[in-house]
Amino acid sequence: MKKNLLIISFLLFSSAIVFGQNKKVPVDHAQVKGLTCKTCHACDIPTKENPCLINCPRDLMVTIYQKPKDAPAEIIINKVRNGKDLYSPAKFTHLAHSEMAEMSGGCVSCHHYNPPGEVIPCSNCHSETRKRDDISKPDLQGAFHRLCNDCHRGWSGKNDCNACHTLNAKNTGNTKQPIVSSNKSKGHPVIKTPETIKYETPKANKGKLVNFAHSQHINTFGLDCQSCHKDETCIKCHDQRDKSKAKPATFTQKHKNCLACHDTNNTSKCTMCHANEVKEVGFNHKARTGFDLSKFHSKLTCVRCHTTKGKFTGKNSKCSSCHGAWDQTNFNHSKAGLKFDETHAEFECESCHKDAVYNKPDCSDCHDDKSYPKDKPGKLVR
Amino acid sequence: MPKQSRRDFFKISAALTAVTAGVTSTKIKAESKDYIPDKAMGVLIDTTVCIGCRKCEWACKVAHDMPTAPLESYDNRTVFNEMRRPDHTALTVINEFPGKELDRFPIDVKYQCMHCNTPACVSACIVKAFHKHPNGTVTWDGSKCIGCRYCMVACPFQIPAFEFDKAIEPDIKKCDFCFERTKIGMLPACVEICPNEVLTYGKREDLINIAHNRIEIDPDKYENHVYGEFEVGGTSWLYLAGKKMPELGMPDLPRATAPGVSESIQHGLFAYFVPPLALYAVLGGVMWINKNRKNSETEE
Repeated sequence: MKKNLLIISFLLFSSAIVFGQNKKVPVDHAQVKGLTCKTCHACDIPTKENPCLINCPRDLMVTIYQKPKDAPAEIIINKVRNGKDLYSPAKFTHLAHSEMAEMSGGCVSCHHYNPPGEVIPCSNCHSETRKRDDISKPDLQGAFHRLCNDCHRGWSGKNDCNACHTLNAKNTGNTKQPIVSSNKSKGHPVIKTPETIKYETPKANKGKLVNFAHSQHINTFGLDCQSCHKDETCIKCHDQRDKSKAKPATFTQKHKNCLACHDTNNTSKCTMCHANEVKEVGFNHKARTGFDLSKFHSKLTCVRCHTTKGKFTGKNSKCSSCHGAWDQTNFNHSKAGLKFDETHAEFECESCHKDAVYNKPDCSDCHDDKSYPKDKPGKLVR
Repeated sequence: MPKQSRRDFFKISAALTAVTAGVTSTKIKAESKDYIPDKAMGVLIDTTVCIGCRKCEWACKVAHDMPTAPLESYDNRTVFNEMRRPDHTALTVINEFPGKELDRFPIDVKYQCMHCNTPACVSACIVKAFHKHPNGTVTWDGSKCIGCRYCMVACPFQIPAFEFDKAIEPDIKKCDFCFERTKIGMLPACVEICPNEVLTYGKREDLINIAHNRIEIDPDKYENHVYGEFEVGGTSWLYLAGKKMPELGMPDLPRATAPGVSESIQHGLFAYFVPPLALYAVLGGVMWINKNRKNSETEE
């Protein structure tokens, strides 16, 4: 018995070790969906010594997701070894930047190549020194700066080194000790979602204003931010470049987001959004689609029927469009407000409801002298 | 002297002309002897990632012991208001051009000596003060230079600059590809300092492959042309850009090397001393005919 206990405890212990290890070891990436060996490896049999990785498969990247809060809030970037230390290391506010990235590309905006598992350091691929053998990808300093400048160049309009670094004292003869940028590690302020947005559309023939019901698109139609704000960059809000000379957006560009649900190419429907004065916005399902929700469907959220996110077409007013096939066995008629008497309980639905939408019943098949709603085949229950 | 008929004379001169022409044409086609693919180094300039910080200008001056303003002053972007050229005070400069579309970032382009595979300056220099090294570098030797400034006229990129303000021992100034640094395994100063690694230093052949690979990965970003791959027979420094390089201050140049054309004409004129001999033969023939004519006139 003692021996058995020992064996069991040993098994438990060893399985615990294995389990613990499994958590640390990256997921076997060969089993990740949508991946073939050729996604990343150039040769047929990659080995650890020679993984023969394809040059930066940005488009086919494999990547991870981590919540901004789980990642370090601040990182001091001091891995770059490039001769002169002209500038102090930059303090990178990772939390703030990852929260901003959440609004557009997510972690991928910077961690563009990361096999499933743990976040790998940039220096795994990008050399810490500039003099190196593999010059096909930028070194660490170049890679960092290119990422920074992608946004900082656009939204501040300038890209002087002092924005992130301080000049080291020994190079300037300045007696001040080098200091590290003192940016506080705070996240991006919460972006308030507007109720409505008024767009001026001076060129539109059918109306010079669009009163866009922003909050309704979120609350009623269940769209989330990314549905429309897909590849948003910082510049969307923080652009300080001179836009007076920029090319005006084309018709397609302006209507791109609307087109996902609204048929903006149909010129007879312009007035749905365009008007000459501010229209009170509100979505009337009956008026817009011909299907009245107020009777039995008033408490439903849109996604109960429109199950594909952002897609509101493809349904018709037939019950089967959402409910599937109904017959007298699976339909509780009391829910429609009328409990049948014994005589009528056994009938097929189609005996009385001649149309597919189960409207007003027709009694003439059996009764010459009776008609709904004057005579009822049962008891009203509400 | 054997008697030569008029017909024989024409035959010989025609043959000589053909030989000269043949020599000339083969010379034009010949590859540059200065370019050694295995050893030639180069720099790929990817102008699409250049932000115009001008740190390269500063590092270049420091590396060459030239007077320079403090590093902070290079943040001043008003210098981009006018086009600048490398001169005797700055061996490399950056100019800024409007972006591909008006609302895009401006394009910053660095200029310096291109270190041609077949350098016109080396060819034009009459005292061999210019030298093309196996690693691609073209250097200038002040101890040989006589100050004729033929190099300045010959250079298709107008790079060599003369210290006109110096009365005594003026120098020709141009980028020397940091020859003294690369000799001891260091990177050129501008390549080392560039924060965005706009400048990639490596074997020229590798850089050409990398450049074409970048174009292939992002064809919308780049103009499908590696400037310097073939221009004037190829240059050590290569450019990638979102616009055509002639729109970015670089000359639109043919594939043929400048020395290739001029040298083949010059050398062809004296090839194996055949053309001069042919010329003498022609002149001698004319003399001989005239003499015969005179003799016959006097005899009559």
